[in-house]
Amino acid sequence: MKILKYSDVTPHNLYLNRRKFVEALGLTSLAFVATPTTAKQSYSTSAKPNTIDEITNYNNFYEFGTSKTDPAKYAHSLTTDPWEITFEGVSQNKKKFDLPEILKGKAIQERIYRLRCVEGWSMVIPWIGFPLRDLINELEIDNNAKFVAFETVYRPTEMRGQKRATLDWPYREGLTIEEALHPLTFIATGLYGKELPNQNGAPFRLVVPWKYGFKSIKSITKISFMKEQPYTTWSSENPREYGFYSNVNPNVDHPRWSQATERVIGEGLFGERRKTELFNGYIEEVGDLYKGMDLKKYY
Amino acid sequence: MTSSILFKSLPVSLLYCILLIPIPLYFYWGIVNQLGPDPLRFLEHKYGELGLIFLLITLSISPLFKYAKINLVRYRRCIGLVAFYYIVSHICVYFFLDIGLSIDILLSDLQKRYYIIAGFFAFITLIPLALTSNNFALRKLNIKTWNRIHSFIYIAIVLSIFHFILMSKTWTGELYLYTGITIFILILKIKSTKIYKKLSTYSNADISK
Repeated sequence: MKILKYSDVTPHNLYLNRRKFVEALGLTSLAFVATPTTAKQSYSTSAKPNTIDEITNYNNFYEFGTSKTDPAKYAHSLTTDPWEITFEGVSQNKKKFDLPEILKGKAIQERIYRLRCVEGWSMVIPWIGFPLRDLINELEIDNNAKFVAFETVYRPTEMRGQKRATLDWPYREGLTIEEALHPLTFIATGLYGKELPNQNGAPFRLVVPWKYGFKSIKSITKISFMKEQPYTTWSSENPREYGFYSNVNPNVDHPRWSQATERVIGEGLFGERRKTELFNGYIEEVGDLYKGMDLKKYY
Repeated sequence: MTSSILFKSLPVSLLYCILLIPIPLYFYWGIVNQLGPDPLRFLEHKYGELGLIFLLITLSISPLFKYAKINLVRYRRCIGLVAFYYIVSHICVYFFLDIGLSIDILLSDLQKRYYIIAGFFAFITLIPLALTSNNFALRKLNIKTWNRIHSFIYIAIVLSIFHFILMSKTWTGELYLYTGITIFILILKIKSTKIYKKLSTYSNADISK
């Protein structure tokens, strides 16, 4: 089967104009059944982004320690250049790419997404990067691939948290192929118009705005396309509490706390809680992916 | 006479002040937004963690005297009450700020969330201890009753550790530390109980036969 590449269907000049770029996304969607036709032109939230200070000093990145302030303290020890990403489940000969090779020709754009953590808080982050589908469409993926698996780099010498077995390293996450190809699913390489700080998952991380934050895996070195649902860290650590899907859902509580509302980071000590939205507000965009699915069972 | 009483009681009241200062101080830092991006969670956890630490210190005073001959017994009531005030502050942050005075959330938390149930009962267990931590109660109650009430602290510390374990996502360094200290204190306590001593004399007697 001839695999349609992104460049085959998108004239290069369309990259330049953002609005037209989104139209181009609509064009490519002909090749993929999973893309909803109702997709909005802009996926960013209009909410006010958190400050760079908040975004870079409140991180869950257990590779550098379990405290939220550990990543800001210790993430500088990670070497992010050079950075290589290995692909599995692809039929092309070349399976390893340097980051510049991957970024070449990608239309870099800004996406302002609200990140809703499974712990019950949220913040708004202006990411810089490109939709994951732009990358996937350049690869020759095995025909029967149904899932995409991601792996964070494993480097205990540079990531002090990995010296302890807090989690079963390396950190792994996964998506269905339909989720991975959704135009909302984003690869972030920057933040606030600048290079991605290490504590936020430099140099290459996933952002899936309708899922709990832990699905958005950081510092990725391996991407595999596979037939079976992949191993994912948190859902294996505690399957009762963290599901493979982990879609933001105010109606399905975490066994130990309610998910109905969230603390808004940046609102201060007396800030009001925010009502959590189904799919973090993206029901129109991603609702079709889970049509008929029992969200209480597939949490 | 009066001067010697003053001399003896002054350090304890000073200790109260020093140990309690962080409560208003952290709260002030919270108001002026000096506690990082998530001041509410910071304050809630800080009060709770300090409450646990002071509980553990209170519990260490008796084994420290017994095994290391370090006598801090005179500070025990003070530190125990300080622990209680931190725990009250911790619960106030939860009730007034975290769940925003919502009785609905409180009741659903108390039905569904094991860590909140454990924490709630830890607090309930500590109330009679706090109420009887004064000379008046010491005089009114007979010493056996008073001792029995104050042995509730062992129940409270076990519940508090469960509260901490059940709310954590993974086993962090602090969690290992506090659980380890608790287990150590409990072992020392069990070793000093009458039942244990009786059992061990019997088994020793068996061996010597």
